[in-house]
Amino acid sequence: MNNTPEITIKNVSMVYNDKGRDVTALSNVSLEIQKGEFISLLGPSGCGKTTLLRIIADLLQPTSGTVEVCGKSPREVRLEKKYGIVFQSPVLYDWRTVRKNICLPLELMKIDKAEQNNRVDALLEMIGLEKFQNHYPNQLSGGMQQRVGIARALAIQPEILLMDEPFSALDEFTREKLNEDLLRIWRKTNKTVIFVTHSIAESVFLSDRVCVLSPHPGRLSAVVDIDLPRPRTKEMRESPEFFNLVTKIRNSFEGV
Amino acid sequence: MMKKKSDILWPLGFGAVFLIIWQLYGFHRLLDLKPFQLPVPSEIIMTIFKNLEKVSGDCLLTVTGAIAGMAIGSAIGFAVAVTATLFPKWGYGGLTVISAFNAIPIVALSPIMNRWFSTGMGQKIGVVTVVTMAAMAINAYRGLNDLKPFSLDLMSSYAADKRTVFFRLRLPSCLPSVFTALKINITSAMIAAIVSEYFAASTSGLGFGIKDSLRKAEMAMGWSYITVSAIVGIILYLIIQAVERRAIKWHASQK
Repeated sequence: MNNTPEITIKNVSMVYNDKGRDVTALSNVSLEIQKGEFISLLGPSGCGKTTLLRIIADLLQPTSGTVEVCGKSPREVRLEKKYGIVFQSPVLYDWRTVRKNICLPLELMKIDKAEQNNRVDALLEMIGLEKFQNHYPNQLSGGMQQRVGIARALAIQPEILLMDEPFSALDEFTREKLNEDLLRIWRKTNKTVIFVTHSIAESVFLSDRVCVLSPHPGRLSAVVDIDLPRPRTKEMRESPEFFNLVTKIRNSFEGV
Repeated sequence: MMKKKSDILWPLGFGAVFLIIWQLYGFHRLLDLKPFQLPVPSEIIMTIFKNLEKVSGDCLLTVTGAIAGMAIGSAIGFAVAVTATLFPKWGYGGLTVISAFNAIPIVALSPIMNRWFSTGMGQKIGVVTVVTMAAMAINAYRGLNDLKPFSLDLMSSYAADKRTVFFRLRLPSCLPSVFTALKINITSAMIAAIVSEYFAASTSGLGFGIKDSLRKAEMAMGWSYITVSAIVGIILYLIIQAVERRAIKWHASQK
């Protein structure tokens, strides 16, 4: 692994003012993320994991501390359109078909038509929704919608994929299926992924490293290396190593 | 859009029974009315056909006024909604003013417009314009601003400017609300046009026809005008609904 990190988070704090009272959402978080790494930000509600993701994405400004991505500020990276973001809900535009939704960022970037079509065709195949390309979002299930959301995030060929609890609204079966799909896609594209979740099993199954955040105030309380071999398979969810890691992470919450 | 047969048959059957009871003087017995006080359906239909030219002429006049007024009123309302969206600091005031217009009763508005415009048509359009502005302004404003969560974040992750956000996100997502407003407005436009004719100096239109016939105790003629008004109102509503179904077939309400 390369030694210069792709993303450097240094002493980042975030304080909200809520009705005259200061609320610390993040306190002094520092973290280095390597290129191509799959990192999870794990924690209960209120631990600031989404806040941290939004700071990296330049959708929020930290109160103090700095974030550097390839030596640049998050704002520069956002303007260069190097972030692909998948939100908690799919945020598909209802008036656009599946195909047109994936195409949206490419239209905004004024990429030429032929290239747009090539990319969208490849992505549709990747998420397995070629047959649904002319459907409207309202005609799809929640899991299918979120797959379209992922394809749209990948369409701009981002350096970094930011995912904010993308599967939290889905049922367990769909979620596990999409976890496997996501790993398959990640293997092909080899992006850096920052994945926010509140599911321990999900973070263990997906990640190279799990960053455990604790609430009140939100802070980084542990970073756990996940040394399960890749590619990860369904069967690994049953293995003792998997359970050991889940237990280890669960224990790191104790005393919070 | 497929409806179950029973969804159509029940209201249709109910309507038929209603008309038959009316035709057989059921309501006359119930409410102790003389036949001249409440003409039966067959008499009303015959009166319409006997006076087809006059009734359809009056109808065309009222509908023209209603549609012209609604088009102007809706356009003003939409423009106010867009202004309030793009310039929230002072644009929102316009929305408040327009909502206040909505509180002026038509019976007050009609005589005022009578003084402003020399023609019956001008007065009609004026009244309808004022009546239809608010519904469009309020609904369109809601459609332009109640966006799905994160959809603005998505746009800013693409570094999209205000113009792109407006045309790619706000405008299409307000379409369902605009159609809601149009459906409200077509009904109130017809009512406003008809009521305004009650107070107009001119002697034409469905509203004048109703008032004049009833005043002269030509009950069947009066009911002919009432029937035509109702039918035209329903047809105009259905036309807007059909356009809506084509224009926003992606929306959940159109399944």
